[in-house]
Amino acid sequence: MIFSSVAQRIDGLQYLADKMELSGSRVRRYLLQTPFTYRAETLEKQFDDIEKAVRILDKHVHAPNVLKLSHLFSSIHDIKGTLDGLKTSRVLDEIELFEIKHFASLCRDIRIVCEALDFMENAPACLQEVFDLLDPDETGTSGFYLYDSYSPALAKARKDASLAKAEENTKLWQEATERVLTEELRVRETLSGTLSGMHNLLRNNFDRLAYLEIVFAKAALAKQYGMVRPRVVPLKGAGGTDAALSVKDMVNPVLSDVLATEDGAFQPVSITLEKGPCLLTGANMSGKTVVLKTLALTQALTQFAFFVPAREAVIPLVKDVFLVLGDKQDQNRGLSSFAAEMLELNEIMGVIKKGVPVLVLVDEPARTTNPAEGAAILCATVAFMEEHATRSLISTHYGDLDVQVRKLRVVGFEGEKATGVLDPSAINRYMNYSLIEDKGHAVPKEALQIARLLGVDASFIALAQQFLKKDDDETIKTGT
Amino acid sequence: MPFVHQIIPYSSLSVVGLGKNTGKTECLRYIIKRLSEKQKTIAVTSIGIDGESIDRVTATPKPEIHLEKGMYFTTVGAYYLQKRFTAEICHVEENATVLGKMLTARALEQGQLVIAGPTDTLSLQRWVTNTLQRFPVDICLVDGAVSRLSPASPAVTQSMVLATGAAYSAHLKTLVDKTRFVYDILQLPVASQTVKKSLEHITKGIHIVKEDGTVENVGIDSALTSAQIRKVVALGAERLYIPGMLGNALLQAFMEQKGAEDMCLYIKDFSHIFAEPRTFYAFLRKGGQIRQLRKVNLLAVCVNPVSPRGYHMRSEELVESMEQALGVPVYDIKKIEA
Repeated sequence: MIFSSVAQRIDGLQYLADKMELSGSRVRRYLLQTPFTYRAETLEKQFDDIEKAVRILDKHVHAPNVLKLSHLFSSIHDIKGTLDGLKTSRVLDEIELFEIKHFASLCRDIRIVCEALDFMENAPACLQEVFDLLDPDETGTSGFYLYDSYSPALAKARKDASLAKAEENTKLWQEATERVLTEELRVRETLSGTLSGMHNLLRNNFDRLAYLEIVFAKAALAKQYGMVRPRVVPLKGAGGTDAALSVKDMVNPVLSDVLATEDGAFQPVSITLEKGPCLLTGANMSGKTVVLKTLALTQALTQFAFFVPAREAVIPLVKDVFLVLGDKQDQNRGLSSFAAEMLELNEIMGVIKKGVPVLVLVDEPARTTNPAEGAAILCATVAFMEEHATRSLISTHYGDLDVQVRKLRVVGFEGEKATGVLDPSAINRYMNYSLIEDKGHAVPKEALQIARLLGVDASFIALAQQFLKKDDDETIKTGT
Repeated sequence: MPFVHQIIPYSSLSVVGLGKNTGKTECLRYIIKRLSEKQKTIAVTSIGIDGESIDRVTATPKPEIHLEKGMYFTTVGAYYLQKRFTAEICHVEENATVLGKMLTARALEQGQLVIAGPTDTLSLQRWVTNTLQRFPVDICLVDGAVSRLSPASPAVTQSMVLATGAAYSAHLKTLVDKTRFVYDILQLPVASQTVKKSLEHITKGIHIVKEDGTVENVGIDSALTSAQIRKVVALGAERLYIPGMLGNALLQAFMEQKGAEDMCLYIKDFSHIFAEPRTFYAFLRKGGQIRQLRKVNLLAVCVNPVSPRGYHMRSEELVESMEQALGVPVYDIKKIEA
């Protein structure tokens, strides 16, 4: 599982990746191929690095060196093709040899900056040996050609060619330049052979530099979105850890950016999830889906070694995150949204049955079928998660369910006195998105109230009210 | 040593040929040789693959450029690797073209090489700036594409040399007239300082220029389609700034309307005019004016009296008629070199 594949199913990952300032496709490729990590030690090491980078970015005195570093990053060329060539012992051409020398000299410059920033543990290795090989005349500059000093035969051939040219002896000149080409090839073969032996060293440096740049980009992102280092709880054995997932004041960066353009702000949400299932209820427009999406994003960010958008986060590691939004209908394959959702859940249950520890976030399962069977499917889902002790959050509008399970409710609409017609963003202002424990069996019934405030025809709402059963009638807060 | 001393004050020069075989390559060779003798460090590049890397008709590659020892040159990897002389690679661009990465190298001995550098005006402009910054170079030379004047735009190079010759037209009078037309466009007068200041930063949209030098955007992006042209002419403005292209149809429309004698059109520089000689001269004859914000320094016109089809003009006669028509020094490079 790598970043690019997970980003296709967890909202917000790609958005944040696009927000990162990276010097080019070389680094972006590396980021997209970052593996989903569930080894705590690996993550802790990377978090240490990001934390240190944040401290460096925070200090004003480091600004010139940080600027220099980003300039050096953007000077690095994508020499993957050349490095692959070295691995297969291909003979490099003059331009590729120049690129290797240029790379070695950049590594040296980056080491100097890392030293000044006291960040040597992530600096590229010293490539003096490579540089010296490509700088036989000890000029110290990054220019390159096939120097005479590589081979007396090459020097002789070049001298002959030059003499023949001066004498305008075409035949001699042609013969001598042919010899020059032969000797140049020989030199390139020798150099490529020697560099082949250093392939691992070069390759490691190439990767380390991408890593270093990503660490700084992650640190900059953390500063931009006020992200914090998550505390990770290691996986214990096959069944996963028993510790609770707990996130305080979690923010969705995508929505928070959108709201900022409309002069709004994202109301942070706190949540704790023990092992096993938990239901999430709340009125329409109360942000249940956003909670699920943000939680999925937070878990995924943690396991790709990013800081997370919250004030505090304790994240038990898992081997996968599933976010089921029930919007995967595929008319081309003849799948209705119900069918697609069932197949997706089935697949996830298959994984869980194998004992793989995962986090499951499901948005209103079986909402597209009849309420009787829908509620049954929901209860079965909860029971399954209970049986397998799978940490899961399942949102629903179904009430009076026949299962004993923890319930969280979005506090919801607090604009009882609101009258007239409001636009959707005004309704958002009356919404309290906090989560509270809910001991009751009923679910909030504010659909008609919200519809009224959205300006839906009053006679239609009155009609709907007539259809409501009498005993339900009392729980409805119509505000009129 | 004609006109080489005139180049020295400038840090960039383009050589443009009005047609194939007008002696552009010889002209460039002459300039490189003379500047090297004056101990000037030169960097050279040529309009890239989009230009004339391969002659589409005869499929012959573009001619090799003669390089002196110590010169910097920018070309693509595929051509560089075919060189038969020693050179040191100094800089390689990150992005690759179909012919490999573009690179800048320094010749360690004399040699010849096919040069194909940046392909568009903007990257050429960047090449000039970067080259002067990165390397100890006195002057950047741009070998322009045949019959494409844009690389010689003052936005790219400060000065230019024009190459023309028998291959462009075998009839002496036609050749002189055709060259004269290009010359007249190049030499269009420069706008006043006030106007220049208010227009310099406008890159889009047709503007009316008022008496006091202030400008007004009329909300028309360009004047290319006949509908746009009708709208622009209907403005009835005396002074107009056209930052994009000044095409033949627009000029024709202005020429035909009443009050053309009081009109003044402002353009960025000569490379933005695309007009027929007839329309161009008719507009000017009626009293209309065209002024440019920036003018290139045309240093010399070089002629090649020999056409590849075997037609020879008499060198002296050609140089003399050309000089009379243009009023600038005209040289037959081959004659000078001999």
